[in-house]
Amino acid sequence: MILTQILIALFVGGIIAWAAENHRANMGRWISLLALLFSFGLLAEFAVENPLVFHQYVKLANSEWISAFNIYYATGIDSLSFVLIVLTLLLGVICVLVSWQEITDKVGFYYFNLMASIAGIVGVFIATDLFLFFFFWEVMLLPMTALIAIWGHENRIYAATKFFIFTQVSSLLMLIAIVALAFIHQQQTGNLSFDYFTLKQMAINPEVEFYIMLGFFIAFAVKLPSFPVHTWLPDAHTQAPTAGSVLLAGVLLKTGAYGLIRFVLEMFPQASSNFANVAVVLGVVSIIYGAKLAFAQTDFKRLVAYSSISHMGFVMLALFSFQQIAYHGAILTIVAHGLSSAALFSMAGMLYQRLHSRDLSLMGGMYSSAPRMGGMLLAFVAAAFGLPGLLNFVGEFMVLTGSFKSYPVHVVFAALGLIGSAIYGMYLFQQSFQGEAKHSITDLGKRELLICGSLLGLLICLGLFPELIFAYFPEQYVAAVNEMKISELTSTSVIGSK
Amino acid sequence: MSNLELLAILPQLILSLAIVLQLLLIAIKRSTLMIQAFTAISIVLAASAHYLILPAINTQSTILFYLDGFSIAISVLLLFCAFIVCLVSGRYLKVSQEVHDEYYVLLLLVTLGASLLAISNHFASVFLGLELLSIALIGMVGYLRNRRQTLEASFKYLILSATASSILLFGMAMIYAYSGNLNFHHISDSFLAANNPQMQLLFNAGSVLFIVGLAFKLSLAPFHMWTPDVYQGAPAPVSMLLATVSKTAIFAVLIKFWFFSVQYVTPIGEHQLLNVITFVAIASMLVGNLLALQQTNIKRLLAYSSIAHMGYLLIMLNVMSQQSLQLAWESGLFYLLAYCLATLLLFTFICQTSKANSEQDNDNWQHWNGLFWRAPVQAAAMMCALLSLAGIPLTAGFIGKFYIISTAVDNSAWWLLASLVIGSGIGLYYYLRIIFTLFAKADNQHLIKLNRLSHAVIVGLSITILIFGILPDVISDEVRFFALSKFG
Repeated sequence: MILTQILIALFVGGIIAWAAENHRANMGRWISLLALLFSFGLLAEFAVENPLVFHQYVKLANSEWISAFNIYYATGIDSLSFVLIVLTLLLGVICVLVSWQEITDKVGFYYFNLMASIAGIVGVFIATDLFLFFFFWEVMLLPMTALIAIWGHENRIYAATKFFIFTQVSSLLMLIAIVALAFIHQQQTGNLSFDYFTLKQMAINPEVEFYIMLGFFIAFAVKLPSFPVHTWLPDAHTQAPTAGSVLLAGVLLKTGAYGLIRFVLEMFPQASSNFANVAVVLGVVSIIYGAKLAFAQTDFKRLVAYSSISHMGFVMLALFSFQQIAYHGAILTIVAHGLSSAALFSMAGMLYQRLHSRDLSLMGGMYSSAPRMGGMLLAFVAAAFGLPGLLNFVGEFMVLTGSFKSYPVHVVFAALGLIGSAIYGMYLFQQSFQGEAKHSITDLGKRELLICGSLLGLLICLGLFPELIFAYFPEQYVAAVNEMKISELTSTSVIGSK
Repeated sequence: MSNLELLAILPQLILSLAIVLQLLLIAIKRSTLMIQAFTAISIVLAASAHYLILPAINTQSTILFYLDGFSIAISVLLLFCAFIVCLVSGRYLKVSQEVHDEYYVLLLLVTLGASLLAISNHFASVFLGLELLSIALIGMVGYLRNRRQTLEASFKYLILSATASSILLFGMAMIYAYSGNLNFHHISDSFLAANNPQMQLLFNAGSVLFIVGLAFKLSLAPFHMWTPDVYQGAPAPVSMLLATVSKTAIFAVLIKFWFFSVQYVTPIGEHQLLNVITFVAIASMLVGNLLALQQTNIKRLLAYSSIAHMGYLLIMLNVMSQQSLQLAWESGLFYLLAYCLATLLLFTFICQTSKANSEQDNDNWQHWNGLFWRAPVQAAAMMCALLSLAGIPLTAGFIGKFYIISTAVDNSAWWLLASLVIGSGIGLYYYLRIIFTLFAKADNQHLIKLNRLSHAVIVGLSITILIFGILPDVISDEVRFFALSKFG
């Protein structure tokens, strides 16, 4: 029930924010903030009271929804979901804070869309019924599209349309895969089921399993995004309002990674280990390609967007290498990228507010007028290229170390991405804040300092003590998952073939 | 005829009686308001008569009609659509001193024809119903004689509809030559009795012609050419009638014909006719969606998108086994329901912002620019309808699409699924463009304020779409049991 309460709190909060804004200006943001904090409180209370519940994936609610298809409203949680929900709510707060003064037009409706999208994302992380998962998967996209299309920048309609069509078509493939799974279950047992746990137990003909896995994989690869289905991302990120970019980069991309772990890897271990070679190559290509294109950009947000493709490539590489260390690294990278890209996009939004441009060639030498801002940007850029001491370093290091065991050559190439990220990172900082002073801007205000400071604080804190995250991943659980994967691996493909 | 048999056709009897009374009413006093109220009431009466006829379910009434759960469900849907059309016609026509009694007579004739199609089980009654429907519709398409496009549309519809009817008739004749009986049921019986290849050829040719005739009326590709012109030229409420009542009724005939005769005549694996259907379905999905991309006229756009939707619906005919029949049925019904609701909503808005005496309807969707900021409720309702047509969750259209996908997966129709995915992808583009227009920065005042009635209709329909989309279980098991009770 607790998860449903969080969902309702977020959604109803959004509606109240919409309604309240019409009566009194600036109420919307306060109400959204309160709703987010309230849900945070609910989650925290739940976590404190039931510390053991996260050790395995458990169902918390199960009530009938569409009886014709035997579809249930079923929610559940485990450590992975928990970490991602915390990240979502945290970045939700950041989103509200960065929108504080940026949004002046149709404010009430804006906060409604923001909150609805956050609610949808939380829904994705808690659904244990495949139909419900798909439902939330779509629900989070609609308001996100609205955010881009209404409050975005000059090319917003194009970007929003592209975003929506890419995600919709790919998720239609996933829907077909889900339906196919349910009907295979019907053929085997006589009744339909969309339940995650039931379907996971099912034995499927390997060839069919491969195609179904592919349906899921494509949907998640689009969302991750992986080369070659990444083209929606730079447009969507560039055109979205700041909070939209933060939400997109910070959490929406993570739903792809989550889907890969939860559905592709855990439901189809055999098919995914057969597919691993391709997926790993896609990951490595994304890393290098993203880094290369990031360097070629002159648009601040576009640069960060391409760097996201590069960073999410690490996640793909890690997940399909089936190593415990890499798996941990992937989860750390997910969190780290969530925080650091959110921070970079917030900075982009702050710069845009001051300069009304995202063009790097127009910037330069702003360090003298805004040292605090420059310092923060330097720190976040450093985080992005993996400076030790920050969380990104730990994540990417673990990914590379872990994957090296199964894919040494691929890892060598992936490591080149780190050099690339250092180059584009420094380029970004140097173009904007160093060199000849072209602009003089006001430095960070209190609210902005709060945003940057809290993100930086988290990056440093988790970077020094990554165990804070792993504390939620009890040993036996992770070990069990990996044992299964490793045993699959040794018995069949990658290592066996060498 | 026994009492039960009479009871089974009670709604149709009520409609026929109402038509006669309408004529009398015109003779006594000409008043648009009165005749509109009378028409609406008689439709409601006919619809509520469906509650009374439940005991007569699964009754053969004369050799022409058979009342089963499916017919009842379709018939109620048809009457519902006709009722909405009747409601919104009033404001559209109320512009001059002229009295529009004939319009409502024609409307009721169309309704009667459609509801006859829903229960007919015999080629003769199919033809009668179809002609009643089409001829009255031709009159309605050309109703606004002062408009230039109207004349063109009405001629186009007249000629193509007559051609389609004769092809259809030819097909029926061939099937009759094969089976010796015009009853749907009888076809499979006679197939079992006599089985030589020449007769089979005759049957297949006849079926193809019959399906082609229906495909003309359903505007399936490649027989879709007339659709956009007629949709655009006809008065908005008539386009609405064409898009919902006429299509639903004819699709119901197609479904019945298919499942009664074709499906069980040819053994599984030799579905030559299925190849025809598959081709038509794929062509409709692609052609409809691709051509809709270019349209700036909302009526034309809806015409093309309806071609695509009929293509999606054809997927349900692809049934490979007796077990998946139930699911296919249910998919067809639900999809038709979702399609009708969304179409009604959009057309209601078009009707209510247009006037019969202007040169054309308010059908350029660029005029809806920024509607959301001026009339949020209307725009939200339209968004709901558009999303439903696009098949996005939270709307009935999504559940409909889910049903269709389930049917296709259940019967391993991968090609149809692939074109469904491609078609929906293309479709999203133009639906989204309209939605984004609604949200654009407001810059013009093309908006006519809606009155309370049409506002209520729009809001009511959008809430219905949402309810069916979020809680499809509101269609309780009893209703489903009745709607799907074994036909034939």
